[in-house]
Amino acid sequence: MYTSSMLKKEFLNKWIKGLQICCSSKNKMDLMERKKKIKLSADIAMASANKTATSWSNALISEAKKNKQDTILVSQLLGSKSPLKLQKSTNMIISIHKRVQCKKILKRSCFNAGKRMMKKKKKNLGISRSNFATTIAKRLVKKRTKVLKRLVPGGESMDEVSLIKEAMDYILSLKVQVDVMRSVVAAAEVLIDDKLLKLVE
Amino acid sequence: MEKDGFFNNEGNGMGIPQAWNSIFGMELETQVPNCFVNSNWDNSMDQSDPFESALSSIVSSPVNSHSGIPNSNSGGENMVLKELIGRLGIICNSGDISPQSCIVGNSSSNTSCYNTPLNSPPNLNLSIIDHGNSIPRNHQFPHMVESGKLSRVSSNQSFKTTEFPIPIPIPASDKKLSRLSLIPDNKELDSSMEESSLSEQYPNGETGIKSQSQSTYSNGRKRKVIPKGNGIETHSSTLSAKDSKAVEEPEKEVSDAKRSKSGEEGNGIEKEKEEGNLKPTKENAKPEPPKDYIHVRARRGQATDSHSLAERVRREKISERMKFLQDLVPGCNKLTGKAVMLDEIINYVQSLQRQVEFLSMKLANINPRTDMNMEAVLSKDTHASMLNTMNNMDALAQPLYVMAHNGPQNPLTSMMHHGSNMKSSQIDGFGEASAFWGNDLQSVVQTGFSQNHGPSFYGTMGTGQMKVEL
Repeated sequence: MYTSSMLKKEFLNKWIKGLQICCSSKNKMDLMERKKKIKLSADIAMASANKTATSWSNALISEAKKNKQDTILVSQLLGSKSPLKLQKSTNMIISIHKRVQCKKILKRSCFNAGKRMMKKKKKNLGISRSNFATTIAKRLVKKRTKVLKRLVPGGESMDEVSLIKEAMDYILSLKVQVDVMRSVVAAAEVLIDDKLLKLVE
Repeated sequence: MEKDGFFNNEGNGMGIPQAWNSIFGMELETQVPNCFVNSNWDNSMDQSDPFESALSSIVSSPVNSHSGIPNSNSGGENMVLKELIGRLGIICNSGDISPQSCIVGNSSSNTSCYNTPLNSPPNLNLSIIDHGNSIPRNHQFPHMVESGKLSRVSSNQSFKTTEFPIPIPIPASDKKLSRLSLIPDNKELDSSMEESSLSEQYPNGETGIKSQSQSTYSNGRKRKVIPKGNGIETHSSTLSAKDSKAVEEPEKEVSDAKRSKSGEEGNGIEKEKEEGNLKPTKENAKPEPPKDYIHVRARRGQATDSHSLAERVRREKISERMKFLQDLVPGCNKLTGKAVMLDEIINYVQSLQRQVEFLSMKLANINPRTDMNMEAVLSKDTHASMLNTMNNMDALAQPLYVMAHNGPQNPLTSMMHHGSNMKSSQIDGFGEASAFWGNDLQSVVQTGFSQNHGPSFYGTMGTGQMKVEL
């Protein structure tokens, strides 16, 4: 696909930049640290490679910003675009948090109220089969949308419609990310392979 | 279904389902399939003639058996006909495609066959509105045709202006349908019915056309309540009530979906709410609409307050997007239902995320010391070969001997081997790959943790060839 290859290129460039930045800072790093850095730079590269400002990308960036250690990396990576985007993302994060809090409160109160309702409903045994099935289906859907919200970054403050859209974007970019990383890894392996052969010889 | 039977036989020049025969008379057999098979009928001279004759014969058969009409008005009508056909062809091509109209659209020429007669002399009864009366047998097919045609026509506003320049004397029995195609307004399913049924009152084709054009012009974006519509609606609704509701609803669903889509496209959008005054179960909507609303219409037999309308719009949006998601997530084509789809999506996202984690871990392991070298390597690569490999999904880049890597370490070797194995398994679904990696991840991590930089460790990974002792 045209767009996916373009995306891949951008992602790769940014990722390499990020790796360079983070590796130039410290000399020795733990394995886990290294992994985290790699992943972080990959994520941020992914988020910024998206030209359209999707909300999940903003959420990713802003979450990374929170972590003080990583802000340097982030800001350097994002470069000139950063001020606007970061501002946006920080504002978003704040509003998101507020919304999430309010929603939680609401949910708790509704849940308690709903418990009473459910008890009442169960008493009325007039629940037909189809209703039962649909309620079960609805519950399943709700559960799964909750899970999906947790998975997609920044997804907690979205309604279903936009959640699905964000999920689509996110899936696409994840695919790209995985592809690029895989090929990088494979290339590195080949290099090492050759090296080893040389050494053995 | 007869309709299906017809479409299946479309490609077959000779076979025509019984319904066609019964409806359209025997003489058409050879002609009809020709015009249907040729989808580019709008531009070719050759086809217009058999087309016309086909049309005329199609139309004439149910009402009368006279077939003398066909080529009588070739001359000027021919040109107009072709023009009309061309426009309709454009409409057909450019109109929104919903699944059902796709079915109809397979023979989009088919419906346009019905459309064109508007311009042409032949008796156009087509009983498309009149299905109840004249064609008792074939209910469903005209429905489909109607929906396909109507929706397609309605999607093109410019068509409005291509009204019949030539008044064509239409025999009394055939006026009904002629108005139908002229409804350029986007949301005019009902008013089309109204107006077509209105036209019943106007035996003269011209005035019928004019009245309709007038009303449509005056409508513009809004829909006028046609006072006569009430009485006539019942007529048409009872007519349609005879036919299967099930067929209607999907039609309207289709047209609804289309409408909501076209509404979203950003033409002037209006919201139409159903008034309780008009029979609430009807589809009619009063045009109360201030602008900048979403055009929605309630379906027959459904609640009409704004909440449920909005709900339905929302649901349609969601299902639309689920369809897109189906394309993204592999293996979701056969699944139906939100819950199952969501489950698949969740699994997919999770596995992708896990893959990213694993890959980053792998990278970290591969280069325990020399990330710098990695960058050097990568930048030297100029990304070109890298991208090539990416594009080909071929994991073997050209060897670069720049790596100043210190010493091979067993985790590396083990990883390489696993990497080669994994490459082959990459082709398969993500589930398998992730499972595979999941199993290996633990072993890899263990070895990775056990020694970061120490070289002399014999991995138990079964890497017979690449054991290195340092």
